[in-house]
This record gives sequence, structure tokens and C-alpha cells, in this order.
Amino acid sequence: MPEKEDDMDEMQAREEIQLIKNMLEKTRKATAESGTLFVVWGVLIALALVGNYVLVYFKKYDWEWLNWVAVTIVGWVYSVIYGIRRERKDPTRTYIQMAARHLYIACGTGFLLVGIALPGLGVYSYEAIVVLIAAVSGILFFVMGGIYEWPFLKWAGLLWWAGAVGMSFLKRIENRMLIFTVLFIACYLVPSFILRSRYKKAKA
Amino acid sequence: MTADRFESLDPIIHSQIRLAVLSILISVKRADFNYLKRETGTTDGNLSTHLTKLEEVGYILVKKSFQGRKPLTTCSLTEKGRAAFTRYLKALESYISVEKK
Repeated sequence: MPEKEDDMDEMQAREEIQLIKNMLEKTRKATAESGTLFVVWGVLIALALVGNYVLVYFKKYDWEWLNWVAVTIVGWVYSVIYGIRRERKDPTRTYIQMAARHLYIACGTGFLLVGIALPGLGVYSYEAIVVLIAAVSGILFFVMGGIYEWPFLKWAGLLWWAGAVGMSFLKRIENRMLIFTVLFIACYLVPSFILRSRYKKAKA
Repeated sequence: MTADRFESLDPIIHSQIRLAVLSILISVKRADFNYLKRETGTTDGNLSTHLTKLEEVGYILVKKSFQGRKPLTTCSLTEKGRAAFTRYLKALESYISVEKK
């Protein structure tokens, strides 16, 4: 880039504004959300759902909690290691990334509380877990949609909330799990893989 | 049209490389030297010179550390730098809006 002359006219002012826009756009692309953690958690939860089905099928109800605890531990350990490595490797740290990281930590803690800790302490019954998980998922996706300016994620968040309300009207846990699985595929797995694909396109 | 109708431009920012560096730093908490070098398309020496100028006037903070055994230089915008960049943008806009009138 050559040095500019001191005089300035409208054309040069426009060129400088364009340069600023280009740099902002480059930074936005360089720091796009990779979606890796979403995909990893998606696979883990999918495995846990299948594991849950198998355990229920064989009437091993006592092992259901262990299935979810194992997935949660693996997911959290992976997330922490991944977060530390990215922190070290990333050439930049944007304010959007910082906001997103705090959102992930907040919602991750929320999932831990409503999914394992609070029902484990007897605050509410296990049937309520999926309803509360859906409510926290709604927060995660709606806020992400706002941060990354992607309306599709906001809609996913709204659907999670609608699902949480809908599930609360269903009494049988099997029916709640069915709705949860549909929500999980449509409002978690699909956006996660689209996020990943958008990231790959942005990096290409 | 007279020159005094235009807002004066900060000579420190009025350089394409320094403007590009500040444009990157405005949206990030920090950026490392190699990233800035790649995005501005300049050389090590040239970028160092421009970063030193920005650091001297207090627009950016340059932090030197080590990542393992490799030296790592990271830059971040100061409040003074942010204010100067905002003023510069307003000045640029004045050139466009005055020309339109």
C-alpha cells in the first residue's frame, strides 16, 4: 500500500472509507464462527439420545443418568481444551467472539444446571428436563442469531421456546422426547451444519 | 468551496497502512503482527515503522510476549486511538457530504 498525499478530495475520501469497509469485512470473515463446538456437541447429544433409547429399550433405567453425565463430561472437557487452543492460536480476538464465548459458557452452565444438577438435587422431576433444556437452547440460538446477524438462528431460538411451551402440555415423557428430538434435528443439528458450511465457504 | 469547510484529517491516521491497521483494530480486542501484516499486504519492516508511529502517539498498545518459544507481538487499540479513529471517520464524511452540497 503506497503512502497517500496530504491533499484530499471526495474521491480519496471515498477510497479511504472503502478501505475501512474492506478491512472490517476481512476481519469479519477471518473471525467467523467455525461451528466446530456445535457439531461436536450435536454428535455427542445424538449419541446420548440413541444411548438413552437403547437403555430404555433394555429397561436399564438406572443407567440413563450415567449416559448423560458421560456425554456432558466429554463435551465440557473437549470444549475447554478447544477454547484454550483457539485462544492461543487465533491471530485476533474480536468483541463478537468474546460475546459469543460468554454466551456459550453461560448456556453451557445453564444446561449443566437444568439438565443434571437441579434435577439431581430433587428441585424438579426428570420429566421437566427436556422442557428446560429447550428453554435454554432458545436463549442460545436467539442471542447467537443477534450476535452473528443471522435471522435463521433467531427463528431456531423462537422454535425452541415454542417447543418448550408445547412440551409442557404433554404429560408423557416419550412424547416430550419425540418433540425434543425433532427440535434437536431441525433447530440444532441443521443450523450447526449450516454454520460449519458457511465458515468453510468464508475461509475458502 | 474553501478548505476550511472540511474537517482537518489527523496526519497520523492519514496513511493507508496506518488507516488499515486501525480499521482492523477497531473491531477486535487484539490482533497479532502476522495477521496485520497479511491483511495490510505490507512487509515486516514497513509495518513495524507504522506500528511504532501509532504507538508513539498512544493510539495503539503493542505487547511483546512469547508463545512457546516463538515471539508474539499483539496490538490493541487504546481509548485515545478509538476516539481519533472516530474523529477521522467524521472528517472523511465531511469531505463527502460537503462535496454533495
